[in-house]
Amino acid sequence: MLKNAFLMLLSLAIAIGGGGASVWYALKIQDGVGAIRIGQWTAFPDIGTPAADPYSKARVAREGVLALGRAEGLSFVAENDAAGDQLKRECSYRIEGGFPTARFWTLYAADQSLGVVETGKPRLAALQSYEVLRQADNSVIISVGHHPMPGNWLLTDGSGRMYFVLTFYDTPIASSTGLSDVSLPRIVKAGCDA
Amino acid sequence: MRNVLAALRRLFHAVLLGLVGAGIVHIVVLLLVPEFSERDAWSRLSMASDLYRMNRLDAEAGGAPVVKSVDPLFYASACRFDLEEGMVRIKAPGNVPFWSVSVYDRNGHNIYSFNDHTATGGKLDAVVLTPAQMIDVRKDLPEDLQGAIFVEAPIDEGIFVIRSFVPDDSWKPIVSRFLDQSSCELQDF
Repeated sequence: MLKNAFLMLLSLAIAIGGGGASVWYALKIQDGVGAIRIGQWTAFPDIGTPAADPYSKARVAREGVLALGRAEGLSFVAENDAAGDQLKRECSYRIEGGFPTARFWTLYAADQSLGVVETGKPRLAALQSYEVLRQADNSVIISVGHHPMPGNWLLTDGSGRMYFVLTFYDTPIASSTGLSDVSLPRIVKAGCDA
Repeated sequence: MRNVLAALRRLFHAVLLGLVGAGIVHIVVLLLVPEFSERDAWSRLSMASDLYRMNRLDAEAGGAPVVKSVDPLFYASACRFDLEEGMVRIKAPGNVPFWSVSVYDRNGHNIYSFNDHTATGGKLDAVVLTPAQMIDVRKDLPEDLQGAIFVEAPIDEGIFVIRSFVPDDSWKPIVSRFLDQSSCELQDF
């Protein structure tokens, strides 16, 4: 009798514990279902729409996100550089290449929760397309790091993991047909503070 | 020996049952999260302000941001509405470099969005209403609604969000004023 009760409890514990933990884990990892990857950049074009998958819906509800609409823009998040290493706030990077068509774009360095990195200075860890210097072929080279750099400089500070969030506003690529042949800039590590 | 084997088999049976149960619990919990979440955008906004109240979402207005994931180069403002009480009209005066608007349902799903290129003369003047209310309005369009953008949404409760671009520091007061002067009110008809 006691043995039966123990086995039942074991089943229940596995069912409730395992089920709950697996949902929690699935919602926690950044790389979810419905992602579109272009180079190192990931976007969730369906997130926050009624057409989203149940995982995205649960994530939207849990984090209180109000996702950008199709007519507003599309966000890409990068967590690795071109070599596949995690982005670090103590390292400096070069983001270079062409950007797809959009009215304008913004780029910012983000922490784990995708909020902007605190720099402790009046300068934000963010850039936008109206203020960047362009190369002769309209491509852009952005230096990211704690130390001032010539050209386009994205200030970061602190240590630990970092993400880049690149958002295109009023862009034709947000209407999903354009997403297949979009190319996004490369993220190259330039060096790290010891 | 036979006893041990039988016990092992029953243990294996119990673990297997547990795993199947875990699968079911996984699906049930996943589908229930949106229903019972107290951290979704609607709940957070309702803690911050009443219906038909424009509420700043960015931290610039003081205090922690109500709803996260706003671009640091953007200011945003939101209001909650209930279409069962009538249609809601959103207006914001002034010219800013870029604004965009989204209508969300109760669960935070984006139902409709547009930006300043859609509006006449770049002026933000929009009415959110249900298809049934739209039929009534079409019969006899009031004079002052002629230039407004009509958003037909098959929902009752919803959230309206205005986002506006702040290219640099000099635009901060202008964009702040644009959002602070925006209004969100029940439209009599």
